[in-house]
Amino acid sequence: MGPLGRETWAQRLGAFRASPSAFMAGPQGEDLGRDLLSDLRSEKLSEPVKVALLALCLEYPAQLWPDAPAAEAAATSLLDTLVLLPPRPSALRRPLLLAATTALAAGGALSPASGASRRLLPLLLGLASGRDLGRSFGPASEQRPLQATAWECLRELESCRPGLLGGCLGLLRALLGREGPVQPLSLLLALALRNALVIQARAGAGLQGLLTAGDSSMEGGSWNWTLAEEGDVHLQPQAPSWPAAEEGEFGLAALELSPEEARELRATVAQLLDASYLLTPVAQAQLLWLLGWALRGLRGQPPVLFKPQLVRLLGTAQLTLLHATLALKAAFGEALFTAQDEVLLLRRLTLAAQHPALPLPTHLFYLHCLLNFPENWPLGPTGEEAAPLLLGSQLCRGLLPSLLHEPMALLARLHLLCLLCMEEEEKEEKGQDQSPRHYLEELLAGLRQRAALDSGPRALATLCFQASYLVAHCLAGQPVVLTPLTQGLAQLYRTRPALAPHFVDLLDRVGPELQEPLRVALRQEVVSRPGREEALRWHLLMLARVADGDAQSATLNFLWAAATHCTDWGLQQALLRVCRALLRAGVGGGLADLLQALARQLEDPDGQDHARLYYILLAHLAGPKLGVALGPSLAAPALASSLVAENQGFAAALMVQEAPAPVRLSVGPRRAEGPVPVLQLQVEVLEPVYSLELRFRVERQLYAPLGAVHVPCLCPGRPTRPLLLPLQPRRPAPARLAVRALYSTPSGLTCHAHLPPLLVTFADLFLPFPQPPEGARLDFFEELWDSCLPKGAESRLWCPLGPEGLEALVSRHLEPFVVVAQPPVSYLVAIRLPPDSRLLLRLEAAQADGVPVALRTDDWAVLPLVGDYLRGLSAAG
Amino acid sequence: MAQRAVWLISHEPGTPLCGIVKFSRRYPTVEKRAKVFNGASYVPVPEDGPFLKALLFELRLLDDEKDFLESRDSCSHINKTSIYGLPVGSEELWPVVAFLKNGMIYACVPLVEQMLSPRPPLISISGISQGFELLFGVQDFLSSGQKNDTELNTKLSQLSDLLLQTCPFGTLLDANLQNSLDNINFASVTHPQKQPAWKTGTYKGKPQVSISITEKVNSMQYDKQEIADTWQVVGVVTCKVPVPPILGFYQVKEEEVQLKIAVNLKLHESVKNSFEFCEAHIPFYNRGPITHVEYKASFGQLEVFREKSLLVWIIGQKFPKSMEISLSGTITFGAKNHEKQPFDQICIGGTAYLKLHFRILDYTLTGCYVDQHSVQVFASGKPKISTHRKLISSDYYIWNSKAPAPVTYGSLLL
Repeated sequence: MGPLGRETWAQRLGAFRASPSAFMAGPQGEDLGRDLLSDLRSEKLSEPVKVALLALCLEYPAQLWPDAPAAEAAATSLLDTLVLLPPRPSALRRPLLLAATTALAAGGALSPASGASRRLLPLLLGLASGRDLGRSFGPASEQRPLQATAWECLRELESCRPGLLGGCLGLLRALLGREGPVQPLSLLLALALRNALVIQARAGAGLQGLLTAGDSSMEGGSWNWTLAEEGDVHLQPQAPSWPAAEEGEFGLAALELSPEEARELRATVAQLLDASYLLTPVAQAQLLWLLGWALRGLRGQPPVLFKPQLVRLLGTAQLTLLHATLALKAAFGEALFTAQDEVLLLRRLTLAAQHPALPLPTHLFYLHCLLNFPENWPLGPTGEEAAPLLLGSQLCRGLLPSLLHEPMALLARLHLLCLLCMEEEEKEEKGQDQSPRHYLEELLAGLRQRAALDSGPRALATLCFQASYLVAHCLAGQPVVLTPLTQGLAQLYRTRPALAPHFVDLLDRVGPELQEPLRVALRQEVVSRPGREEALRWHLLMLARVADGDAQSATLNFLWAAATHCTDWGLQQALLRVCRALLRAGVGGGLADLLQALARQLEDPDGQDHARLYYILLAHLAGPKLGVALGPSLAAPALASSLVAENQGFAAALMVQEAPAPVRLSVGPRRAEGPVPVLQLQVEVLEPVYSLELRFRVERQLYAPLGAVHVPCLCPGRPTRPLLLPLQPRRPAPARLAVRALYSTPSGLTCHAHLPPLLVTFADLFLPFPQPPEGARLDFFEELWDSCLPKGAESRLWCPLGPEGLEALVSRHLEPFVVVAQPPVSYLVAIRLPPDSRLLLRLEAAQADGVPVALRTDDWAVLPLVGDYLRGLSAAG
Repeated sequence: MAQRAVWLISHEPGTPLCGIVKFSRRYPTVEKRAKVFNGASYVPVPEDGPFLKALLFELRLLDDEKDFLESRDSCSHINKTSIYGLPVGSEELWPVVAFLKNGMIYACVPLVEQMLSPRPPLISISGISQGFELLFGVQDFLSSGQKNDTELNTKLSQLSDLLLQTCPFGTLLDANLQNSLDNINFASVTHPQKQPAWKTGTYKGKPQVSISITEKVNSMQYDKQEIADTWQVVGVVTCKVPVPPILGFYQVKEEEVQLKIAVNLKLHESVKNSFEFCEAHIPFYNRGPITHVEYKASFGQLEVFREKSLLVWIIGQKFPKSMEISLSGTITFGAKNHEKQPFDQICIGGTAYLKLHFRILDYTLTGCYVDQHSVQVFASGKPKISTHRKLISSDYYIWNSKAPAPVTYGSLLL
């Protein structure tokens, strides 16, 4: 594509600037960077257009060339364009240098490996040192501006890559001596010096003659990247903050300077400082920040070098210089500033903070500096705003707020007034009328009067509440201030209920010292009136925040009266929100009547449903549960129904939630008594559980459905009685029971959990026959034995015995079922198997390793179970 | 001490966005440093559109003030400096230095060379005062000599070049942009001259030195026993002055739909009785338009601005021999129409003031002057030396003594 015309470029640049991200995402985005670089060499475009193109390169390199290789290529192209310029005056050289520097620094392409870096750096240094670079670098008239630009570019590169110019310190010093206190050069030297000091300190090295090395260090040879590579790990703050910048981190204590190096360093700093008054105030300030932090903590370099500057600096009217002076004060404190200096600085700040010739932002900044003044001997904790000790109350008087001040100035000054009131409190009580506290009250009253204006802008109301908040925050411990404040605010509400949202916000944010009395006062304010219709929605909004269990009847009376006026959906919702607040506060009886009435009376079906829901909740849930159910804040009302929103809010609280099992169940010892088998369940509980209900389901329906087991309360660490679970087998067979637990947590949530299944074994079902009289036992057994056939089955088994013998085995497993015993060799055992089967065992003629068992049953299906059971007995021990 | 970006935004209430970005400049190399220094707390500078929206919201300059918005109106959302945190997406861009002056919003984002969370103290951030200085410099440049929109647009179009000169990489070199404008237009020179360190170009033109003393006088007069009147003179030299130049009282009495006013002004005998102009503005706030005025003035003429509810008493160039003049009258007002008549947050109920506007040339209250012949200039060439002085009323109020008036702490007679 050929070069674009002027118009096209103007359009394109306009579209890009309107939204760079949108443009780059569009069809033209991809080509922009490439077109721009190629059109810079087009002869059809005028210089102003090209300057506009370069301005874009200066601002948006990251968008045009998003990665390091692209940035490298762009910088190379820009440098080529620069070299190709004809040797007549041109407005492009300067922006081309700036753009190449920007592309390399912002694109992360600055490195020894980068070809563009290897071209740009010597070029800049050549221009900076005033060397003749030949006619290609433009006419002589441009040399000086280009020299200044080169200094600027080098300074930016040094900022982005600390240590880059560490090898040029000697050269820069010599240049400064030759050129005089030229602004960018002074700042460049100061920055390079500061960075070199920090990097060498970190490496534990000295200055190694860097300050005295001549031009030759760089000439001819390649660029010296040594310091830059060492400094690469950390970007250096040019003015690290106090108090974060403690010695350890940025300190230079580790720097070892030889006496000669120390002398050279002092000479360099003095060279920079002595001529600094010739620089513009902003440049002076930068120099002071840089050198101040360069020397801080450097051993054997007292800040006395700054002393001659102080005479000038303490009297400065320049914002940046005063700020830099405060920074020096913070850095060196007593070592540089006497108590008299401190008083003088405070006096100047005080005057500057109210000087009519200065603009408001400056006033505000100075006020901020006063409240955060870096004192030599601060009393309070750091980080909190406080009036400096040496700032007497007399000096403060001019800084006190009045209604005529701008909001921000008023708030800043109000803070100072609060601090004065605090001091006043600590001193003896003075005459009422003269105290700052009295003045404070008058001021707050004035603010409230303005906020009460019906047609007043919201900003006035906001200011009044901000001031009230500030006062409540600063003077929380002073009832003498808070009481009239509470009354005044209540009166403000009376005059302009439309401020209700501001009141709710204030209540949400102030501490309990104001919150409690104000809440009570506002509740009284609302419920003591009939509720005029136009203000009703504000009263209801207010009441929803301030209503609680107190003054129930007055609150309910108000709501009864209000209900008749709540004709639209919004008002009804507001009314219901108050009911909700009362529900949460545990208000009972009267509220139920009201809710019932609302459920009938409200016109809107949504409102009716809502009221009914509350009524049901009130009637069915206990207090704490109700609190939890309504606890989460109401979701934003959905368009369709407020009930939906409400449900979203507490559905979680009212619905049963799945949770990990809070209890562990196990089957305890067998009971073998009673008409049906009963499982004894041992419970181990991991967390407090209330209203526990255990539900069991028998797999394959082997037993009749089981009833649930209820436990009111279980706490970990407290002994629990076993739970009894009666079984009603349909067949005498073992089974698996699935178990679920349903319970309440201490926070009021209802949860359910799946527990591991329980196993009911064959033996768990065994029941004894009723014992016949002593003499009739053998007959009883024989009768049972005979009755099994022919319907049943007979079998013989070998039951292995352990070392303990038959007697131990029987007493451990079969004791309840033995009908006739001839220990230790013969036992007759009769077992009832519910629902209606029997199992009869003859264990006779035991041998050392086992006993033959003859068995009969009337249910042939149990035979395999019996076999397994008997064979397992010896293994069970 | 560097800036990440600078904006100029004209505030245009009533338009959909309430403002237009007139100029913006970003500094990508500084932005790159911000990313490293701020680490996890880094928030990129947004594009112009989102920035405009967030800034106007934070400065309360959007038209929509109807409803309470917590993020703007909450009582704990307190700003006591012109430094803001702007909500950008889910994050907050901080610190943003910004102020509104004459319908133009000046804004910049200084680099903070550390983590932003917790917020470091403002006083420890060098870029804050540098940012202010840059914005004040731009403001001075735009407001000097600017009369109309065309001139403003010309200046705005020069701004890009000027910042390229004084602030090429976001670190300001000279807040006086006019200096740089002179440098851009420098003529070529064949040999280097000795020149001030902050100038890379050379000034061409007639050498001249102009020294002027302008004093501004403020006053608050209450005509009350328990409140002291105050006055303050500010100028090149500040010193105590025994009297305000014009003493007076103002009394307003409300009678149904009418207001009765009485004004008395007296020029102090020591003050030069030769004004460039002298007027007393008597505004009536929070009322309807003036429908009828009956008055008696011992001197000068009264102009009535009915819709603005304002009376202007034109006193002229001289007070009469008696040095004392008075005005009394009855004013009737029509029905209040909120949109048209001026609203004031101070003048509620009977609280009212009149404001004096005057200028006296070749005069200072302090007696301070510059002797033209004693001015020495250490430079080659003989510059022409001219001196001026004048006294200007600044905030010169006389409050209605029949109602409460806002009082500063200093004027309470303790």
